[in-house]
Amino acid sequence: MDVTCPPDPQDTASGIPESYWRSAFMDNWAMLRRNTIGRIGIVLLAIFALMALGSFIPPLIDPIYNPMSGVDPEISYSTGPSWKHWLGTDFIGRDLFSQLLAGARIAFMVGISAAFMSIFLGTAIGMVAGYAGRWTDTLLMRTADIIMVMPTLLVLLLMAALFGHLNIWTIVLLIALFRWPGVARVIRAQTLTLKHRPFIESAKIAGASHLRIIVRHILPSVMPLALLYMTFRVTSAIVIEAALAFLGFGDPGTVSWGMMLQWVWKTGHMFQAPYWLLPPGICISLLTLSFYMLGRAMEEVLDPRLRKEDPEE
Amino acid sequence: MTLNRYILRRSIEIGISFFIILTGLFFLFHLAPGDPVTRLVDPSMTSEDQARLIAQLGLDQPLWNQYLHFVGNFFRGQFGISFHYGQPVAHIIAKRLPNTILLFTTAVILSTLAGVWLGKIAAWRKGRPVDTAVTIGALVCHTLFLPWIALLIIWLFGYQLGWFPITGMITPEVWIDPRAGFLLKGLDILHHMALPLLTLFLIHFGSYLLIMRSSMLDTLAEDYIYTARAKGLSEHTIRDRHAAPNAALPVITSVGLSLAFSVNGGALTEKVFSWPGIGRELVFAVSNNDYPLALASFLLIALVVLMANLVVDVLYAFLDPRIRY
Repeated sequence: MDVTCPPDPQDTASGIPESYWRSAFMDNWAMLRRNTIGRIGIVLLAIFALMALGSFIPPLIDPIYNPMSGVDPEISYSTGPSWKHWLGTDFIGRDLFSQLLAGARIAFMVGISAAFMSIFLGTAIGMVAGYAGRWTDTLLMRTADIIMVMPTLLVLLLMAALFGHLNIWTIVLLIALFRWPGVARVIRAQTLTLKHRPFIESAKIAGASHLRIIVRHILPSVMPLALLYMTFRVTSAIVIEAALAFLGFGDPGTVSWGMMLQWVWKTGHMFQAPYWLLPPGICISLLTLSFYMLGRAMEEVLDPRLRKEDPEE
Repeated sequence: MTLNRYILRRSIEIGISFFIILTGLFFLFHLAPGDPVTRLVDPSMTSEDQARLIAQLGLDQPLWNQYLHFVGNFFRGQFGISFHYGQPVAHIIAKRLPNTILLFTTAVILSTLAGVWLGKIAAWRKGRPVDTAVTIGALVCHTLFLPWIALLIIWLFGYQLGWFPITGMITPEVWIDPRAGFLLKGLDILHHMALPLLTLFLIHFGSYLLIMRSSMLDTLAEDYIYTARAKGLSEHTIRDRHAAPNAALPVITSVGLSLAFSVNGGALTEKVFSWPGIGRELVFAVSNNDYPLALASFLLIALVVLMANLVVDVLYAFLDPRIRY
């Protein structure tokens, strides 16, 4: 047994040295960076991340730059861009630039945490359904089908009707609870193709428990797919939160881009204040676009044939 | 025959799914913090009237009894009385639902056709400027934030250019005028529908285009395309008659899968353009705490999505002769 052969990623999913994963990751990363679409996506995301980090600065400079409670004492109506207010002010004299930065923070927070939770749920449920089969599979997948036909935005509206204004974390949680079925379907399909591979069979014969097989052997193989779906879920979570805020049902304690758009729309500044109407919409659309581009680039890196259905579903 | 059995089986499944949604909502509604009585009984009534209404609505009865009544009434089309309109919810929904279906179905069909057509061209000219332009355009449209693009469209076509009306569905003057014929009324609706339709179209065609493009690229690599070339068929015949029909199938699937997601966009569009549809009614009902209307609108939308999924599946079976149920 002194012959060393390179580890085959498919058959030794858990027994691979740490360095293998690192080099695989670095290879993928290098490929992602060579991909034009992916590169644009990453650069845009970095800019938005800087905006989110920068959102803490304006309120420190002067309390009038607080996105929610800061009001310029000299201005009580909407004004255009100036040195004092780079993007102008809203209808009660709050600084639009600070609001835009704060909106970036909320968008990242909502997008990433909701996507993470729905991917966690979807991956866990998909793996269990695919691995267990029979009635567990039927039950879980029927539940997924039912949740899938419910338009998430309208569900959130109905919840807002029942429970009053929703807290931002409640919104995140609800988005996650209603956005896992698409992920679960894909992960289940992937698990089904893995289930009868030799490395799973041999793990079973070696006496591994079901939990161990799922966590140590199946999870590593479905992980890239789950990460890919995470980028698409981030965009849909951001869009749903923004839409909810736009309709006036956002968390009243936070400033999001959707809420900025609601204010410009509801206070009738739509035709007079392009400096107020344009930035939040451009930001939502661009942030969505950059996550989407990252996702598409990742998809090409991982496997062009992985996805057969629309990720937005 | 087999297709009929498939439709029957799917209909039963739809029935069960809908029943589960209905049950879930009922219990959510009655077990949520707060009192169902305050939700269902108009607070502006006098206390005697309220007591009479509570007895009438059966809110003093045990929960399971109420549940049976709720389900029974729902299937008999009795959704209660809207707080805001003071009319039966069923009447309001019957008036709104056709408007939504008109706008939404037109938008989905037009954007699917455009997506398939442009996707086909992009794939055919892969790597050329046409492909790059179309693909980038699709990506950008696909990720536009719907309410925002709706506001921009209103600003450009409704305000700056003044070509189209920006709210509502009809011009009352035209409809009151006894001389106005069917054609004129139809044109009036089309005129009002142009902007919301454009909004929904822009948001939807991008994703269909991208799916069509990648599906078409896969199809073009198939052996039977080489065979068609070897037979000496013209390029147009190969593209339009051999490759495109097969490549369009995944688009149909994705239309079905993304339907629930598109409905979100439909509701937003109706709200921004004041299109008198069921989505706008739901948003309105939620803003006004009009619970019976909100609940019934939501359930009706869920039912329509369920049935539309079935229509898409059956359509798929017709389009793809290889599918046998």
